[in-house]
Amino acid sequence: MQALREIEGGVRLSLNVAARIGQLRKPPILESFLRQIYFTGVTAATGVVLRASVLGVMIIAVTMNVLDADVDLAVKILLLVVFREIGPLAAAVVVILRSGSAMAAEMAMMRIGGQTRALRYLSINLYDYLVLPRAIGMMVATAVLAFYIQFLAVLGGLILSPFIIQASFMELAGRLLDLFQPVDFYYSTLKSLLFGFAIAVVCCYHGLNPPDLTHNAVPRVVTRAVTQSAMLVLTINAVFAYIVFGILFFGLVRATV
Amino acid sequence: MSAPQPAARAQMALRYLRNVERQEVAVAVPRGSVRHVRLPDDATRAHLVTAVLKARCEPGEELELLGEPVRELKRAARERLRARVGALSPICGLITSLNTWENISLPAAYHGHPPMAEVERITHEVLASFGAEPREFLRRLPDQLGTLERRIAAFVRLLVAAPELAVIDGLDEGLSRSEAARVAGFEKEYRSRHPEGTLLFVDTQEEDDL
Repeated sequence: MQALREIEGGVRLSLNVAARIGQLRKPPILESFLRQIYFTGVTAATGVVLRASVLGVMIIAVTMNVLDADVDLAVKILLLVVFREIGPLAAAVVVILRSGSAMAAEMAMMRIGGQTRALRYLSINLYDYLVLPRAIGMMVATAVLAFYIQFLAVLGGLILSPFIIQASFMELAGRLLDLFQPVDFYYSTLKSLLFGFAIAVVCCYHGLNPPDLTHNAVPRVVTRAVTQSAMLVLTINAVFAYIVFGILFFGLVRATV
Repeated sequence: MSAPQPAARAQMALRYLRNVERQEVAVAVPRGSVRHVRLPDDATRAHLVTAVLKARCEPGEELELLGEPVRELKRAARERLRARVGALSPICGLITSLNTWENISLPAAYHGHPPMAEVERITHEVLASFGAEPREFLRRLPDQLGTLERRIAAFVRLLVAAPELAVIDGLDEGLSRSEAARVAGFEKEYRSRHPEGTLLFVDTQEEDDL
């Protein structure tokens, strides 16, 4: 019953955000939206430079070694695994850990401290002021962060590969550009936007609906928000891959139609 | 509460009756007046302030706000009525993640009125009248303000919203004698800016009993 209630609450929250998107023009909401992009995207960006570069390098190094790959396979791995799948997933993990948990805790503290009630008494809609800028801001920030991680990871992989296989950086980069299709970019961007939206909605929902109104509820809210966000991101990833490419789990399961 | 005639209703800013567990509380405040009401306990006070802010009453309560009985109100009408009342109360405190200026200007920025230049002017004038240095005061977070300063900030926010009925709840609670003397100036300040407005101060008898 609780799971159904949470799904219903999350869907209602999402529909409300979609319906009220025009409110983003109001100055305090726009400011909150920009602040969310700054905290989720900009502040996270500096921290992921090394990790994203190492991610591409590690994946290439391990697969080259195991599969004894040539240029084609190296580039395909960079494109299909690093660009399409790992980049958006890595961005989602960073966003959940850095911003999702903070968002859930902040919302729960506001609810417990009576500040959401104060906003209502000021005739300020909670969806407008708290949920909408965070959801849209987190969507945009996750997509930008994913692109940043993809770029760094692919670049890291391209730089390292010449040391492992018999191919130059230019040869690998040229092959990558040959294989790259716009759908790869649209696919990963759309997926990242969905990840950001899902994380924000789950974290806002749990933050605004703590199990009780004591401070002990905050860690429980954060735990539920983080675990459910992660599960939802993985589910979206699997469903999306199946819908767009007819594959599941990096190609282990394929659609028959 | 016997149902008053519409003309008599229109003259009243607030009529509140609470009859729970054999304890009856009746408050009537004419429009444009300043009233000080002492309620039997904190719970009753919280019920009154919450009922006014929500424009909604619970079982055992009757409430008329600015001439309108709230029980029958539709949602849109209730929202409109709520926009005409305001309170300085712990129930409606400052937002801790926003600095003082953002707290004061948030309702105006969200609702689009009054203009921000007007908000800024009122804020600076009121802070000057209470001897606060605006630049330093406005950039601090609520947690960095003292009790008196928080109350001044909430009062400025209330003045900017310019409600037709303003409820001031436990004005001098937690303040020293000299600080209480300073906040006593709220009434004069409100009156000078909203001569037609209604001001209701509520506190409890329990404080005197202590």
